[in-house]
Amino acid sequence: MMTTHLERSAGPAVRSSSSSATVRRRRKRAELLAGYGFLTPWLLGFVLLTLGPMIASLYLAFTDYNLFSNPTWAGLANFTRLFHDPDYIQSWKVTAGYVLIGTPLKLAAALVVAMLLNAKRRGQGFYRSAFYAPSLIGASVSVAIVWKAMFIDGGIVDQVGQFFGAAPGGWVGNPSKTLPMLILLTVWQFGAPMVIFLAGLKQIPRELYEAASIDGAGPLRKFRSITVPMLSPVLFFNLLLETIHAFQIFASAFIISNGTGGPARSTLFYTLYLYQRGFVSFQMGYAAAMAWVLVLVVGVITAILFRSSRTWVHYSGEMR
Amino acid sequence: MKKFRFALVGMVAVVALSLSACSGGGSSGSAASGQATFNPNEKVTLNMTWWGNADRASRYAEAIKAFNVKYPNVTVQTSFAAWADYWPARSTEAASHSLPDVMQFDLSYIREYSQNGQLLDLQSYVDNHTIDLSTFDPNLVKSGSLSGKQVGIPTSTNTLAMFINEPVLKQLGISLPDTSTYTWADYNTFLAKAAAAGAKSSDGHQLYGGNDYTGTFWFFIQWLLQKGITPFKDDGTLGFTKSDVVDFLNLTGNLRSAKQLYPIDRQVALTPKDGFTTNEAASEMSWDNFLAQFSTDSGSTIKIVPLPSVDTGKKDLFYKPSMLLASGANTKHAAAAATLINFLLNDPQVGSIFGTSKGVPAAKAQRDAIKADPSSIDGQVIAYEEQVAKQVTKPTPLPVKGFGTIEAKWLSLAQDLDYGKTTPSDLADQWFAEAAIDMK
Amino acid sequence: MTTVSAPPADAPNSVDSARLRRVGRARRGGRSLIFHLVALGLTVVVLYPGVWMIVSMFKPSHSIVGDPSLVPHQASLDNVVAALSGIGGISFWTFVRNSVLLGVASVVGVVFSCSLAAYAFARVSFRGRGVLFSLMIGTLLLPFHVVIIPQYILFNQLGLVNTFVPLLLGKFLAVDAFFVFLMVQFMRNLPRQLDEAARIDGAGHIRIFFSIMVPLMKPAFITSSIFAFIWSWNDFLGPLIYLKRPDLYTLPIALRLYVDQTTVSDYGAQMAMAVLALVPVLLFFLVFQRYLVEGVATQGLKG
Repeated sequence: MMTTHLERSAGPAVRSSSSSATVRRRRKRAELLAGYGFLTPWLLGFVLLTLGPMIASLYLAFTDYNLFSNPTWAGLANFTRLFHDPDYIQSWKVTAGYVLIGTPLKLAAALVVAMLLNAKRRGQGFYRSAFYAPSLIGASVSVAIVWKAMFIDGGIVDQVGQFFGAAPGGWVGNPSKTLPMLILLTVWQFGAPMVIFLAGLKQIPRELYEAASIDGAGPLRKFRSITVPMLSPVLFFNLLLETIHAFQIFASAFIISNGTGGPARSTLFYTLYLYQRGFVSFQMGYAAAMAWVLVLVVGVITAILFRSSRTWVHYSGEMR
Repeated sequence: MKKFRFALVGMVAVVALSLSACSGGGSSGSAASGQATFNPNEKVTLNMTWWGNADRASRYAEAIKAFNVKYPNVTVQTSFAAWADYWPARSTEAASHSLPDVMQFDLSYIREYSQNGQLLDLQSYVDNHTIDLSTFDPNLVKSGSLSGKQVGIPTSTNTLAMFINEPVLKQLGISLPDTSTYTWADYNTFLAKAAAAGAKSSDGHQLYGGNDYTGTFWFFIQWLLQKGITPFKDDGTLGFTKSDVVDFLNLTGNLRSAKQLYPIDRQVALTPKDGFTTNEAASEMSWDNFLAQFSTDSGSTIKIVPLPSVDTGKKDLFYKPSMLLASGANTKHAAAAATLINFLLNDPQVGSIFGTSKGVPAAKAQRDAIKADPSSIDGQVIAYEEQVAKQVTKPTPLPVKGFGTIEAKWLSLAQDLDYGKTTPSDLADQWFAEAAIDMK
Repeated sequence: MTTVSAPPADAPNSVDSARLRRVGRARRGGRSLIFHLVALGLTVVVLYPGVWMIVSMFKPSHSIVGDPSLVPHQASLDNVVAALSGIGGISFWTFVRNSVLLGVASVVGVVFSCSLAAYAFARVSFRGRGVLFSLMIGTLLLPFHVVIIPQYILFNQLGLVNTFVPLLLGKFLAVDAFFVFLMVQFMRNLPRQLDEAARIDGAGHIRIFFSIMVPLMKPAFITSSIFAFIWSWNDFLGPLIYLKRPDLYTLPIALRLYVDQTTVSDYGAQMAMAVLALVPVLLFFLVFQRYLVEGVATQGLKG
């Protein structure tokens, strides 16, 4: 089955048309077999662990299912229950707050620090690694425990706050401060998007900035007209991934609230509530309905982002 | 190509269908070897699980060592989990018919598991004396019996009590009302006076009389009994109404608005400890076997006294099996499991190993073995139960299906109430809505 | 590292240029100072929680919470000893073993399955490749919530709860699109002439993959391995739902057991165990930071 004649060969076709067609067909078949052959693990994974479960959970979303007995058809009951469930609505409020405030803040921090580091200075590698480190451990249980200890009554943040005149009292027990605490945790992990921004910044040709300087452009103008457009693909990439990532926060909220989503449900993130309904109370049909609503919402947001990207994301000729 | 696409769709459909297919036919499972008697020479491995902490784990290890002295051919493989993880784990096992041979069980889940046929009926082993219940209070044993099947056997008893943190009380400089006659109103007055005393702890935190006790579901149940209301009817429905809930929550209404209860935000921040165990509150209600944990956590002298009542002196207490032992219906070694259960229930050595850490033992032999010095913690708990024995006049309320979830929901909503984010009336509405779903 | 760039080549004359150079250097020195001050200050703030965590490990339990200082007054190893003694009869090293096993197995699975898939996407042209590639990228954007419940039901019915299988199967079936994508990008940069040369010599895809691609993929494998190991090490939700027996717990779950309601809270031991749980991650980071950072960076560029 090995051909000696490459499809892209520059040499003149020597064979007659019919046998070269056969060769091409045989070659195509070989490629097909090879392609799907190599893809076998992935295909298995995709069907067994992604597509199959997706379809199953779509079905479950219309049933009552508690693991003990067979699923019973419930029609739209789960969905109507969702919209009357105060905990569910609360979980959207909490998650939306986190995504809408946390993600832009994190990206802004990442961009600012990346621009700061984007200069030929000594120690750049050191700073880059130092700022990246939190991203590796930020979502871990260990850090959640430390964060809680820092923000508790009488903890460091409390003391620093009192020093600056804030009322005493930690953030952990205060329902209006738990979300800011978790937002700070995610902003602390700005290192990963920062590294990506930095790489993107390095790709911007210096001549553009120099030319702009000659034309008398100030730093703000340069930022608006050069940096942002040239960075826009990277910005889009980061925005998309960080947003989707933010919807999936779990471990930090779980540890800090002890799995309760409290106090007063101020840390009842979507994933946490889904976990409670699905894996603690075993109301799996309901949890499946929740999962699909999330998929739809994320899908819509993704579509909007992609759509809008046509207006503000500039791909230069080289970058694809 | 079309052929391939069909194959792909077909694969997907098969997987999807099999995932949502029934979980292998709910109840009835595999019938265990019914009346088989235990053969001490047969080598058997049992698995056993419980909830608790490291302390309990080491006690169980000792108990099993003692068991193996008597029954060397039975190997017991153990595992344990925290309370929060315990029930999801059992649920999973139940669904795949792989529940352990012996497990610690709780009243709140017995109805649910028993109704689904997940628990072994131990009656035949009681009848043939593999399990000896001759020294057990029959009413207590009944709490583990459902629809004529003895699906769990209580190991020990619990009843509700009030705990006093003596040093804090002294710091507050006020006195507790007479605990044999005080009412809820008297207790509330005490709490108000304590908050007004304005005493502070050594690191500057204000001391209080206690926390908002209306947040615990079991205290609500106790209060209902004192009012002559049956919390759970035999048919598994609730015996109380929204106005009962609101009345109970309003007991501390004034204290809440005057901020005379232990502050909720500090309480939350201190988890897993709380105001009482951090020596900032003078009193707290709980099950009587918590004396040990409270003493250790707080490091102070804790006194155990009776609860308040609605009518003076009429406490209407009940014994709750603090925990039970049960066996999975899918067990392959029913007789051996029953033997292990009997050992844990009755053997005096086991009694002295656990003391009252699980509650006051149900078997007389174990109670006697504790031989507790009256001033020790075990001694105090046993003395307390003896002291209030005459006041235990109500049968154990048998929790409804989904009890675990509705109990947790009560706690979560009560927290909202303490944070001022809801009202008693709204709380009741939300709670009943949730209960309707969870009890289905 | 980098050097300060030289002044522009078209400086006017030598005297002026020397003066300009001196002024320029002073100004650059000043700016450099500001840069370092700001960067260093930011570094301190960012790294403070990490350092505080490590230092607290050596402080006595009761004095950890309120104490912001980074120097322990009464340093002792008590907390470390307590953490290492395990929980309820299960040794600390059991948890480490579980985490290591899962981590290593994840690495093997990822490298094996994702490289195969990446090769198909990057080097083989076949009908449907475009669609399947888009599907794969799509899974990157898919919230996991919609698959965990049926996955759980499936593994439960197969009796695989309380085993490591549910946590590893996906790794061996290239479910992590991140790694497939990373390897595809990497492969696209490898010159096709190598393939073609091999093809002329009569090699088929399998030979090309194993003899040519795999040896050249080392940097991508290293990056993938590090990320795969670290993500597996830090994974919480997966072990939480599938591992129900303490002797199977991984470090994050064991850590949570420590912090649970029924035990006496012990901040010191918590900190010690939290730090110990992160040690491998931190070690990996220190040794391989170059790979990590560059791996993350290249990801964004073609995105």
